[in-house]
Amino acid sequence: MTPFLELLNVSFSYERNSVLEDLNFTMEQGECAALIGPNGVGKTTLLRLAAGIVACSQGSVSLDGRKFDTLLRGEAARMVALVPQRFEVPFDFTVEQIVEQGRTPYLGLFSGLGRQDRIAVERALDLTAVTSLRKRVFNELSGGERQRVKIALGLAQEPRLLLLDEPTQNLDLGRQLELLDYIRVLNDEGVTILAAMHDLQLIPGAFSSVLLLEPDHEIRKGDPQDILQPEILERAFDCPPRRHPRLVAENRVPLEKTR
Amino acid sequence: METEIAAKTASGSSMRVYLPIVAFLLVVLAGVLVLSMGMGATKIGARKVLTSLLMGHGSGGTDSVILIEIRLPRVLASVLVGAALSVAGLLFQGLFRNPMADPYVIGSSGGAALGAGIGLFLLPRFSFLGFGAAAAMAFVGSVATIALVYWLARTNGRVPVVTLLLAGFAVSTMLSYSTYFLVVLDDNFGLRTRVLASWLTGVIAVPRWSQVEVTATMIGFGLIFCYPLARRLNTLALGDDYARQVGVHVEKTHLAIILAGSLLTAAAVSLGGIISFVGLIVPHMARLVLGPDHVRLLPVTAITGAIFLVLADTLARTVLAPSEIPVGLITAFIGGPFFLYLLRRTRREYTL
Repeated sequence: MTPFLELLNVSFSYERNSVLEDLNFTMEQGECAALIGPNGVGKTTLLRLAAGIVACSQGSVSLDGRKFDTLLRGEAARMVALVPQRFEVPFDFTVEQIVEQGRTPYLGLFSGLGRQDRIAVERALDLTAVTSLRKRVFNELSGGERQRVKIALGLAQEPRLLLLDEPTQNLDLGRQLELLDYIRVLNDEGVTILAAMHDLQLIPGAFSSVLLLEPDHEIRKGDPQDILQPEILERAFDCPPRRHPRLVAENRVPLEKTR
Repeated sequence: METEIAAKTASGSSMRVYLPIVAFLLVVLAGVLVLSMGMGATKIGARKVLTSLLMGHGSGGTDSVILIEIRLPRVLASVLVGAALSVAGLLFQGLFRNPMADPYVIGSSGGAALGAGIGLFLLPRFSFLGFGAAAAMAFVGSVATIALVYWLARTNGRVPVVTLLLAGFAVSTMLSYSTYFLVVLDDNFGLRTRVLASWLTGVIAVPRWSQVEVTATMIGFGLIFCYPLARRLNTLALGDDYARQVGVHVEKTHLAIILAGSLLTAAAVSLGGIISFVGLIVPHMARLVLGPDHVRLLPVTAITGAIFLVLADTLARTVLAPSEIPVGLITAFIGGPFFLYLLRRTRREYTL
């Protein structure tokens, strides 16, 4: 069986800064994976590559056995959706108007939303429990509500692979757990999930596998209990951190030992 | 099943509000046209205006000559210019994802005026399918200006409001003085110089019928071209990255918006010169009533723009009768404070 998402020898650089180098990994249909790694290691870039927003400088990204450069943009957009971290809306669009944009890959330039499109939009609103917010202005919603609307927008694309960039960011603990529940429900519905996660404590129980992107451009993939091991994480996250020179000079006790 | 029912009601309900709004605006436009044609040095009643319009010269008398030969082309010109500038404003606001953009503010009107001026001076006899060099060069001038401002103001796919306004301000100032330079160059103060000078303030004079036809064609094409873009503008509002991942060719779409907006601006400028802020006020008013959906905004913006400019031009030719003031002055008086109000209101949303 061919993997659903496959990155083969992928390198990517912004101008001269190399972000990803010679990266290889695959995801099977139905997986629910967390993508972790220290700041600036290229998690967002990896998601943008998988969503086809940017193209890799070397190597290839394939969806369902087809390389991205052989896919038309619209075709790829019907298979994969990215829920971005930063999402700014300049005008007072309502939740419904925003989620309807997810149908763009299915519409011609002149056609409005058809029956199938309306049903997909309703389903997306329903799955993320934002149906009651449909007439509200997006910019006036709370952080947790906005996050769910963003996911609904991704779902309206009816993707087989949903990529999420830091979906729990800026949410309080209750909303974080709630959001992970929604992700679980989507995965049960057959959507393959890859979510960049900052808070490692949220991963066990919520995700079936973990992708660790390391600073030396290595990638590790495994079950949560195999990857979330102190020695692996300490190396990847450079932890405990090098101490501030002033604290060393004052010979203060490190944070860990004050507990 | 439930979702299917919800799907039906969602699409139906708002159309029931929208279509009556469009119908109402069309009635208002018709009323304003009749009223405006009756006003001026010779007051003419609405009934006479209507019979003259229906019968043409046949109804006889000086009144119908005034109506058909003088006032009709002028109000039609106002309709065209108002609709074109307003829709161009709507397009540019979508392009820059910024409610402060307008053909005047971002310099596209200035570019069109300079282009038209150069066309008028260098190729006064050029004509292609009825389009003179002025109209063609106005289009080129507008495209070049927006391309320049777009290049200057965009950083990482975003256009901060301050950068947009500063780039637009600097570019339009340069363009206006270049056009003024053309006026100075022409030592015998002839017809074309007067035309050029009036372009700088924005005057809708009594146009020749051929002018009305040419600009109506340009604006017609522009509006048809806009229709498929309206849906794209909604997608682009959610950001370039988002548009890309749902399969939109962002750069090509931006180019199409620039071309359509320039065609509209060029047509408006070659008819009425630089008329400020219309493209700012009208889309904003439409958005207040209808929300930001560009598909619905497009027709309403066009009709409202026509109403707005017919009213403004009627004021321009009656307020100090028998002398006239440029319509650009009226729109600047209304639009200037409005621009400042918008700037104040959106300041928080568009920080550096």
